[in-house]
Amino acid sequence: MRKVLLVLGVSAVLVAAFWWLSADKDYVWRLPGDIPAPVVPADNPITDAKIELGRWLFYDTRLSGNKTMSCASCHVQALAFTDGRTRSIGSTGEIHPRSSMSLVNVAYASRLTWANPLLDRLEDQALTPLLGDDPVEMGLGSIPEDFATLLETETRYKSLAEEAFPNDDNPYSLLNGVRAISAFVRTIVGFEASYDRYIRGDETALGDAAIRGMDLFFSEKLECFHCHGGFNFSDSTTHTNARVEQVGYHNTGLYNVGGEGAYPTDNTGLYDMTGERRDMGRFKAPSLRNIAVTAPYMHDGSIATLDDVIDHYQRGGRLIEQGENAGDGRLSPYKSEFIRSFELSNAERVDLIAFLESLTDDAVLTDERYSNPFLD
Amino acid sequence: MILATSCSKPHLGLKVPFVATWGGEIIQCTDSGIALSDLRFYVSAIELVDTAGKSQALELHEDIPWQQRDLALIDLENGQGACVNGTGDTFAYLVGSVPAGEYQGLRFTVGVPFDRNHSNPLKALAPLDDPAMHWHWRSGYKFIRAGVETPNDGFWIHVGSTGCEGTVGNISGCRFPNRVTVELSKYVPNSDSISVDLKAFFEGIDVDDGESTSCSAGPAESACVSPFAALGIDFESGNLLGRQQVFSIGR
Repeated sequence: MRKVLLVLGVSAVLVAAFWWLSADKDYVWRLPGDIPAPVVPADNPITDAKIELGRWLFYDTRLSGNKTMSCASCHVQALAFTDGRTRSIGSTGEIHPRSSMSLVNVAYASRLTWANPLLDRLEDQALTPLLGDDPVEMGLGSIPEDFATLLETETRYKSLAEEAFPNDDNPYSLLNGVRAISAFVRTIVGFEASYDRYIRGDETALGDAAIRGMDLFFSEKLECFHCHGGFNFSDSTTHTNARVEQVGYHNTGLYNVGGEGAYPTDNTGLYDMTGERRDMGRFKAPSLRNIAVTAPYMHDGSIATLDDVIDHYQRGGRLIEQGENAGDGRLSPYKSEFIRSFELSNAERVDLIAFLESLTDDAVLTDERYSNPFLD
Repeated sequence: MILATSCSKPHLGLKVPFVATWGGEIIQCTDSGIALSDLRFYVSAIELVDTAGKSQALELHEDIPWQQRDLALIDLENGQGACVNGTGDTFAYLVGSVPAGEYQGLRFTVGVPFDRNHSNPLKALAPLDDPAMHWHWRSGYKFIRAGVETPNDGFWIHVGSTGCEGTVGNISGCRFPNRVTVELSKYVPNSDSISVDLKAFFEGIDVDDGESTSCSAGPAESACVSPFAALGIDFESGNLLGRQQVFSIGR
């Protein structure tokens, strides 16, 4: 018996030692108990040094070709890291076809951007805004060497890069910069909305209207939760305990140009990537967390308010009476089966909006760990 | 001579120049009227065909950063004039060698081979490290960037594999590979150049109609149909149609 105890004791010490060693290196997520940890790519573990480097880079306008724009130009913390525009504007003035997406909890997104089934890692996604030229976003395209020079010559970046990538021959590379930005962005998580406090047992966290709105949201009458379900209110969500990979794209009947289901040619959704007609107008259901602060809505910012969004879904598709995009989205042959018209009283509408507003997490919108370090 | 063949086969050093043309006339970034606005493309799997019909791979010199052994980036724009998105550097010819022989044909693919097309461009070796040639959101390279500017507007096109499946880093295949096969007979080594005729490429497009049109190979883009046909590709299906019309033997 004594021997067994001794073995157990030694094992415990070893386990504790391993725990201590790994805890020293691994990033510790500060998550509520009911929220699983996000997936972190094995080749880019999160470290404090990377987060720090990534945070500076995220807010640094020198990452754009004409030094006018940073990642934060289209991802503003107070707006849940969106930009408040219908469509984002690149550093050289080109207008992006789509609206900036929230970065809060993006670490849980099984696919990134509005309709790109190929992108499941921030490290890959980041190359498009940084280097893409159709349209130009940050426009670093032809001068990635400037980036390496910036990291190697500026004292702050030099030491942070060397600390973040200690075993790398070239810690100052754009590859490593992208890794650091991705690590930082992955840490922007928030599950402290009134709604979260309510489901964790604080019955005072939600008012009666929001509670009634929650019941409507999760009802078969409105069907919202089919696409905006789960702890992150998006069906394209994954995490370390996920059994299967969930990826969903949906046509909500926002357009029906010409009566055959077409979307405007610069925004055809999944169809643009697959070339399959059935994918016309299918976009990812974004997370509804912080949705009250991320207007305007939809992939192209074409709906201004939550009230108008509810109109769209209540009608079962949008009617555009005139202009080049005219058509009745309700009649689109590609529309999701979950988009059906429903009755909703004015009182119920107020309740539903109260619920959507309860998904705003003020902590993540103000947390200094995600704020602009140049302003500190 | 006998000694040389017994030790190692004699090799023929080869330069294959490419020239941007408009209907056979040289076109430049600084031209008035119709000006070049972009012309960069990847060439791979280059072979010479001898008089007996046998093909030999052209081994490119790897000490030039524009070339790997079997792949090169041809860059015919110099960043001036209408080539606003371009670079000052150019690279106008393949440099390599083949076993000595009597050659009368040249064939190559315009595009990056699948095995290198979907790897991380930030880790890639030159000339696959050029961010302007990478199509980050489609995963893979722009095999061709080409365009002209005219007094009223112009036209540009990006060609590369689309409809790819899997995720970046794990692409399993692409429904529309969009690699162009070029087969040129009556080719005289170290004498002929290859004309890249943008007039033939943009035959079905009114490049001066005052409407800015472009083709980035998305399925809804009707402006892609005729340029793809000129490349010998059916835009709708991705199938090879037959002979391309853009690359030909120049003077």
